[in-house]
Amino acid sequence: MTRRIPALEVLGPMLLVVLVGLLSTQVSLANEQYFLSALISVGMVVAVYVFVGNSGVLSFGQISFVAVGGFASGVMTIPVESKSGVLPELFPVLRDHTLGTIPSLGLAALVGGVLALVLGLPLMRLSGLAAGIATFAVLEITHNILREWTKIGPGATTLSLIPESDGALQPVIGVLIIIAIAYAYQRSRLGRLLRASREDAAAAAAVGVNVHRQRLFAFTLSGALAGLAGGIYVHILGSITADSVYLELTFLTLAMLVFGGATSLWGAVLGALVVSALDSFLSQAESGVNVGFELDLPQGTTLVILGVVMATMLILRPSGITGGREFSLPFGRRLAGRRPPAEEGTAP
Amino acid sequence: MSDAMLELAGLDVSYGSVAAVRNVSLEVGRGEVVGLIGPNGAGKSTTLHAIMGLVGVRGGEIRLAGASVRGRSPESVARSGISLVPEGRRIFADLTVEENLRLGLSGRRSQAGAADDIAAVHAQFPIVKEFAHRRAGVLSGGQQQQLAIARALVARPDVLLLDEPSLGLAPKIVDAVFAALAEIRERGITVLLVEQRAQRTVAFADRTYLMANGEIRMTMTPADAGDTDKMVAAYLS
Amino acid sequence: MNALGVIPFASINAQVIVDALGLGATYALMAVGIGLVFGVLRLVNFAYGQLIMAGAYTMAYTSDWPLVWSIAACFVVVIALSLAMERAVFRPLREQSPTVMLVTTFAISFVLQSIALLIDIRDDQIGEPVASLTSLNQSVSIAGVDVRKVSIVAVLVALAALGALALLLGRTEIGLRTRAAAADFRTARMLGVKANQVIALAVVLSGALAAAVAVILTVQQPFVTPDFALHDTIIVLVGVVVGGIDRLWTATLGGFVIGLTSGIVNGALPTDSTVYLPSVVMALVILVLLLRPAGLFARGRSSVVDRV
Repeated sequence: MTRRIPALEVLGPMLLVVLVGLLSTQVSLANEQYFLSALISVGMVVAVYVFVGNSGVLSFGQISFVAVGGFASGVMTIPVESKSGVLPELFPVLRDHTLGTIPSLGLAALVGGVLALVLGLPLMRLSGLAAGIATFAVLEITHNILREWTKIGPGATTLSLIPESDGALQPVIGVLIIIAIAYAYQRSRLGRLLRASREDAAAAAAVGVNVHRQRLFAFTLSGALAGLAGGIYVHILGSITADSVYLELTFLTLAMLVFGGATSLWGAVLGALVVSALDSFLSQAESGVNVGFELDLPQGTTLVILGVVMATMLILRPSGITGGREFSLPFGRRLAGRRPPAEEGTAP
Repeated sequence: MSDAMLELAGLDVSYGSVAAVRNVSLEVGRGEVVGLIGPNGAGKSTTLHAIMGLVGVRGGEIRLAGASVRGRSPESVARSGISLVPEGRRIFADLTVEENLRLGLSGRRSQAGAADDIAAVHAQFPIVKEFAHRRAGVLSGGQQQQLAIARALVARPDVLLLDEPSLGLAPKIVDAVFAALAEIRERGITVLLVEQRAQRTVAFADRTYLMANGEIRMTMTPADAGDTDKMVAAYLS
Repeated sequence: MNALGVIPFASINAQVIVDALGLGATYALMAVGIGLVFGVLRLVNFAYGQLIMAGAYTMAYTSDWPLVWSIAACFVVVIALSLAMERAVFRPLREQSPTVMLVTTFAISFVLQSIALLIDIRDDQIGEPVASLTSLNQSVSIAGVDVRKVSIVAVLVALAALGALALLLGRTEIGLRTRAAAADFRTARMLGVKANQVIALAVVLSGALAAAVAVILTVQQPFVTPDFALHDTIIVLVGVVVGGIDRLWTATLGGFVIGLTSGIVNGALPTDSTVYLPSVVMALVILVLLLRPAGLFARGRSSVVDRV
């Protein structure tokens, strides 16, 4: 008898997120930043996973929605009295209104989702390399507009004075919501149809799956979640620039996803946390840290080591550390039999 | 029977967890023409691909003139003296006919005598010479098949493998293909022929194996070709 | 770019066109380098720009050597790095999905940039000047038109390189085998074409082209930083896919056209009206991909690009 406990698959990652949140309250204020940025990485990677992991189509464009959500939430929460000073060229409707943090997060998700829907309508007909390049073009366009158009944001300068959220509560809840939605989607009928098309798009289309529509739904959902993650992100940092949500972040989130295992939610969460932990440790080591002996790496080593570790992982184990499986307890796996359920199988 | 030119012993091939070829053993003697027939998905093409090193082999042995070629790369198998005329011809459509033919020379162990072999295929397949400088893609199906066989022959193989050479060709062209095969047999080249046209293959080959579900089910001789009941039973088995 | 931003709108003169031709030629060389490797490995190398960057740093660090030796060092370093990349990264990836390949070369691109930063920053400053060939930035007057020497050099180098490549691919046995491998690798191997040989050839040629581009680009941008050639590579990659990555000549044409176009537009428009140029170009790219996913110059509508 194989008996799966579906809830466990999502409770594992969620508990881990809560744990990271709790840990962040136990460390110095300087170190809290590392935990919070790990949390927000989880949010972004899971958002990317909802599309890339479930559809098997590579997108370089999901960080655009993080950017748009971040800027929307940021611009709308800066108090009206400071706005005309820091953002004088803003459209009056943006300049004269302000939102609370929570509504602004809803706005971030809405903007991200709507933009993804509009772009996805034509783009979701593409796959393979064409999809990769087209979504890359989306990233370039978003970055270009955010960097230049001072009527909707700060342009090339930093958007600051964004109200900062206090502690870990808000990011933890936000990320838990993102994970829960991602999980509910992949368990739903729609999610399962898309995952079937990932294995064999032609076969799925032959049995009546509208691959375009399924991909569009996932793209839109992913855009909304990415927007939300962007909103949470700006309220952790209190500032954002167009360059901070561009190429490097795109690379990092995709690498985290593939590192963890691109075809499972657990892989997305674990990949984000492990890579973040490594990143934080190495950054510390650059300014000297004691690990039994005094470790003091030269400036810049972090990126080299991080990149090498990721590339090595991608080459040696492209299905990621989880092998694309969902979370399960060690004895639970034994009870459930040797093979993971088919839909959670490894990539083709 | 250690005189076998090509010998498969207990060959096992699988795609993932699906076994495509199971415990297949067969021999092709020097200068012999051996047929391999069976329904779609029986594992005939996979057997040829395994010999050629195009798919990984899980178990068993593949020997050419007594020496193992199992686990070698396709180019190394080709250079050791086995040529495959693949299913669907696999002509390089953007290259000229002459260039396609020249590519066949990459499988030779020595380039000495290459000119003679080219002259020989030109004699056997005049269109290969006539259309030498045309794009191979504009040739008809039958002409492409001739080119594919010519391309395999200029490698001067010890063993020629053919994967459904008559597939998709008009009856008259099929006759031409079998006529070409007869000429090749005259030249003493060892042939393993995979075909769908069962009756014709059984009649033509010295010996024919019937494959189904990845296994060899029976062996037939030209005498069986007239025995329709046996042929039908073989296919339905 | 290139101090032409002050020229008023719609002033497409001969000088702008020659400079744009130079940029198009440079991008065409990069497109060939990317297309050659894609042809035999079906791998889009995001890290191609870092080969150029490594060549540019070599030029910078050897700028007190005699020019010929400096250029030779650039070729040696870039070709060696190209071969090392094939051995350490591309070969283990051969059976992987395009997604994994792309993300991995993305990662390699960042690794090489970070390593360059580590080496570069030892003098506490990011960036190294390259003075070897700055004289090529001067203009010469041809038929009354002032033209920068480097643009002419770029066009000549590109013509020479493409010509030599066409001879190599079209007239030699190894060239024939490489073309066959690019069209159908499996069948080529089955006929006896040695996989490692044609891959090595493609990788060496691709490296040599990167080195040539490094030399040309250091003239135009005589200050080398870790992100040297990164942006150019992104544009060329886009051009290559839009042109049609399936075939070498469509890929090359794609690279040339995108270089020529951005050269002309950049040269002719004042700076404040080019800020949204990337968006316009990228929107056109999306449009082309939607209408012709296999590439602008490709024959059919669908292709390997759709399938990979």
